[in-house]
Amino acid sequence: MNKQYKIMVIDDEKIVGDMTKMTLEQDGYVVETFLNAAPALERLKEEKFDVIVTDYKMKGIDGMEVLRTVKKLYPEIVVIMITAFANLDAAIEALRSDVHDFFPKPVKIKELKASIQRALAKDK
Amino acid sequence: MQLQLKIWHKMIIGIAIPSLIVLIGSIFTYEYLNDVKDRQEFVEIADDIKEDVLELRRNEKNFFHYKNAEHRDNVYNAILLLENTIKSISREIIEDIGQEDFSMLNKSVQTYTNYIDELYESYQDEIEVTEKVREEGRKLEDSVGKGKRRGGLTTSFVLNLRRLEKNYMFFRDKKSFLELNTALSELKSAAPDCTECISYKEAIRNLISTYRKTASIERKVRLTGKRLDEIAVKIARRERQKIRSFITVTNRFLLAAVALLCILGPLLVYKTANYIVTPINRLSEITKRIAAGDLNVRAPLKERDETYSLALSFNTMLDTLRERENQLVEKEKELYQSKKLASIGILTSGVAHELTNPLNNISMIAQTYTELYDKLSREDRLAFMNNVQKEAERIRDIVRDLLDFSKPKEKTFRETDINTVVEKSLRLVQNMLDISNIETYVTLGAGLGTVFIDEHQIQQVFVNLITNAIQAMPGGGMLYIETRLSSNGEFVEIDIRDTGKGIPPEFLPHIFDPFFSTKGVEGTGLGMSVSYGIIKNHKGNIKVQSKVGEGSTFTVELPVYRNGA
Repeated sequence: MNKQYKIMVIDDEKIVGDMTKMTLEQDGYVVETFLNAAPALERLKEEKFDVIVTDYKMKGIDGMEVLRTVKKLYPEIVVIMITAFANLDAAIEALRSDVHDFFPKPVKIKELKASIQRALAKDK
Repeated sequence: MQLQLKIWHKMIIGIAIPSLIVLIGSIFTYEYLNDVKDRQEFVEIADDIKEDVLELRRNEKNFFHYKNAEHRDNVYNAILLLENTIKSISREIIEDIGQEDFSMLNKSVQTYTNYIDELYESYQDEIEVTEKVREEGRKLEDSVGKGKRRGGLTTSFVLNLRRLEKNYMFFRDKKSFLELNTALSELKSAAPDCTECISYKEAIRNLISTYRKTASIERKVRLTGKRLDEIAVKIARRERQKIRSFITVTNRFLLAAVALLCILGPLLVYKTANYIVTPINRLSEITKRIAAGDLNVRAPLKERDETYSLALSFNTMLDTLRERENQLVEKEKELYQSKKLASIGILTSGVAHELTNPLNNISMIAQTYTELYDKLSREDRLAFMNNVQKEAERIRDIVRDLLDFSKPKEKTFRETDINTVVEKSLRLVQNMLDISNIETYVTLGAGLGTVFIDEHQIQQVFVNLITNAIQAMPGGGMLYIETRLSSNGEFVEIDIRDTGKGIPPEFLPHIFDPFFSTKGVEGTGLGMSVSYGIIKNHKGNIKVQSKVGEGSTFTVELPVYRNGA
């Protein structure tokens, strides 16, 4: 793994960010976590991220908005969405907006890792 | 078996009985007047008899005086008059007078007539005898006057004798008789062998005996007349007495009848009116009680009159009414429960989502823990497990809130702070609000005092109002919750205001009706009617203001609890 990929995790549940960060860092990823979307989007202006893992339902700016904004401003960033409720409409809408993957909670971290790897492999 | 009469019959009886009394009284009065008339007749007849007898006695006296045929005939005529009067007496009156008195009257008249005949004969004898005495007297006078002196007989003696004879004939009393008798004895001693003297004496003796006989018959006539008089007077008196006592009795009877009518009449009219009105009144009383909400009353089926079927229909109506009410109560319970279940359903989906997060957290901790076990420090591991514990508690709290809400509970009214209830209710729906993209602004008033409420029920009302608000804002929006004291300080007011689609004005009046649901609105939460019922049970009010496109405001008013007041 010669290149250090940067991953951003946005979820208002602190544990989601913490655990994802801990696991992904073991694999050599650089991980930053955010509890709200607004500061995360601000951060994107400063630094380039390869993958964004975002929660779907959040107070303020929600996951859908994050997806749309990111795809508009930084189409090359891979967005993976996780959600607490399996809503088919939301999934379809997300896919239309070019979401890379869609995970319902509880999230299997291994699957999430595999999805990230797949996305980054495609990127090469 | 009790006699059962229809009102119609009762009225007839009520009118008929006093009328009957009046009729009977009238008949009696009529009879009484007739009787009085009859009696009057009897008295008149009795008076006639008495008068006839008096007339008879008057003629009798004249007959005694004149002793001639003319006066005898007058007596006969009087007797005939009396007989005619007696003959005219009807059998009825005879009975009234009494057979005994009547026959005695008849017999006495007969006897009287016989005595009068006898008396007349005796009077005739008297004339003869008197003539004889006068003749013999004249002979004696002549013999002395011719100078044929016989012993001590003198003209003056004879003349004196003749004077005494006349006196006796005139007076017919004891004195004149004694004087004459003495003179006759002297005549015997003066002239013992005088033939004229003997004849004269003989004639005088005849006169005396005839006079005695007449006197005896006269006495008998008088006695019989007197008896007739007595009988007539007795009959008249008895008739008068009878009529008097009859009038007294009849008077009393009439008085009693009038008194009876006066007392019984109004009493009867009152009773009849009562009899008619009582069942109607009873029904009216029952109607009042039904109106007051007592459906357990039943009209008694006492009278078999027109009110009977009325009472029957009444009871049938009441049965139906109570059955309906029972059904309604049952339905209300069902409704309450179903609405509550619906509410729980909505809450549950929210809760399920809410559970997903802590579950996911635990899952992720576990996965990371397993994955990085060797690389984790002791502190990390402890921190992991602490987090697991915290998340588990989070789950427990969520589940407890839901269970608390859904558990059926006995009503318990307690003095409660309304702000606490608002906060608890909000906690239950918080996740739904989050999911639905609704910003909540809560303004809890200070110094509201307490309310006396069943917290569980009021919480249900708030949850219902909030879920409705959420449903009214499918695209998200703002929810304002405010608690405050009413302007008069008697109520605590809780506003729940949304910025949803609003309720069309035509639906507003029906919003609290049971089974009412605005079309096209998915899910109803706890029915508005149930909320309404709960608030009404708390002696509170629930009001709604709404404008289509701007949102709705529901205001719940609950009376402030005044301890001991």
